[in-house]
Amino acid sequence: MLTNFPCPPPSRRGRPLNTPPFIGRVVDSLDRVFRNDPALSLRGLTKHYDDGTVALENFDLEIPAGAFFGLLGPNGAGKTTLISAVCNLLRVTGGEISVFGNAHHTMEARRSIGLAEQDINLDRFLTVRETLVYHGGYFGMEELESRADEMIAAFGLEAKRDTRAPRLSGGQRRRLLLARALMHRPRLVILDEPTAGVDFELRTELWRYIRRLHAEGTTILLTTHYLEEAEELCDEIALIRGGRLIARDTAAGLREDFGADRLQDVYVKAMAS
Amino acid sequence: MSGLVWLCKRETLRVSKLWTQTVLAPVISSILFILVFGLSLGGRIDQVSSVDYEVFIVPGLITMGMVQAAYANNASSIFQARFDRYIHDVLSAPMRPWQMTLGYTVGGVFRSLAIGISLLLLAVILVDVPIERPFALLAAVALGLVLFSALGVVVGIYAEVWDHTTFINNIVILPLTFVGGVFYSVEVLPSPWEELSHFNPVFYLVNAVRFGFLGESDVSVWLSLGVTAALALPVYAWSQWLFTTGRRLKD
Repeated sequence: MLTNFPCPPPSRRGRPLNTPPFIGRVVDSLDRVFRNDPALSLRGLTKHYDDGTVALENFDLEIPAGAFFGLLGPNGAGKTTLISAVCNLLRVTGGEISVFGNAHHTMEARRSIGLAEQDINLDRFLTVRETLVYHGGYFGMEELESRADEMIAAFGLEAKRDTRAPRLSGGQRRRLLLARALMHRPRLVILDEPTAGVDFELRTELWRYIRRLHAEGTTILLTTHYLEEAEELCDEIALIRGGRLIARDTAAGLREDFGADRLQDVYVKAMAS
Repeated sequence: MSGLVWLCKRETLRVSKLWTQTVLAPVISSILFILVFGLSLGGRIDQVSSVDYEVFIVPGLITMGMVQAAYANNASSIFQARFDRYIHDVLSAPMRPWQMTLGYTVGGVFRSLAIGISLLLLAVILVDVPIERPFALLAAVALGLVLFSALGVVVGIYAEVWDHTTFINNIVILPLTFVGGVFYSVEVLPSPWEELSHFNPVFYLVNAVRFGFLGESDVSVWLSLGVTAALALPVYAWSQWLFTTGRRLKD
């Protein structure tokens, strides 16, 4: 069974120095396929904003491939900063980020990530179908049309396929946002408060879809303010505050560690400590 | 390369979807200039540089329409994408910074060409404008579009509110274009206005385009192309630097 031990860089893996470059590249590719790299690895991640705010300080985190990982913390804890850094939407101050063993800025790493942001950020000039097709195009997909139709059907947006984003209801926009994140079949899906401001029916529907996605092998990183959502969905939960990791365990493990009956109590204790 | 192709498609699709605003409106306003200044007042003005006045103003009006469109298109497209944050879809995609820069530049070029070609066809019909030096015209248009499209990208990235994008257009580009010899030859200006006109970069672009159409201009076409290139390259490099470093695009 493969385990998650840290893997040295290709140059230090005992390959003879006179190995032809082509063979080296093939070996590296095979190595990446067969070794069990974590879905996401953060080492010493630091972000200081220009105004002096320290959003993340020397932050380490490793999320195994296939995990359903929850990230909890109050507003300003650094959750969105962390996500933005992973998705190349932020200039990090220091540290390393790798996605399935590739540096986060590489094309391979970028292709592996699907992001649904907290705020609705849909292109106002594109219809539902165009939103998906163009996103797939940006991410280098080939079977754009069929995949877009598949996502439209999966998220129940058939009647709105030719409607532009500003004319969709809040729930439809949220669904389209998730469909866009999943369009290019990412191996790591990052959901930044996907159910914020969403009614009960849609939340349940989104949970069902996210669960199915995870069951198919996709790694999920979820941030949420709904503790019951984290407990219901996530295999493992990390609590962060002030840009630092406070605790990390399963929901049951956290309850035990903090001597609490409910995750809410764990959260209160962790944030007060 | 696929990402670049799709970004170019997106930018041109935006122009096509809004064609009444992006193409039709500037074409109508430029044609009104030709009709009002050229055909109605042209009869009272002697020939300028050995051509009829209504023909003389066409190259400048086409230049004015194209550079304003190139700038305004990219400034508004990028600013909107930043404001609504759907630019994140591009910034997180597996695209290289040069592909993002080029992709966002293409929209302005496409819109300007649509306007320029429409105006050219109408000008040929209305005033029978010649194209004496087509290669010089192509070079001048290419350099002018790179300059103003890239400027639009830069301003769209730096702008904090909508007013910033329109401010540059109304306070910088439009006045420089008007005093850049669109409606007159700077040779008729008294000193020091004639000399001061040579410090206006748009003057050189207008003259390069005029040379392409009429085969004559106030200054050497090589100087005009050289000045325009000397401005276009650093401004494009500036827009490229913004995408490479993520400055103003990423916190």
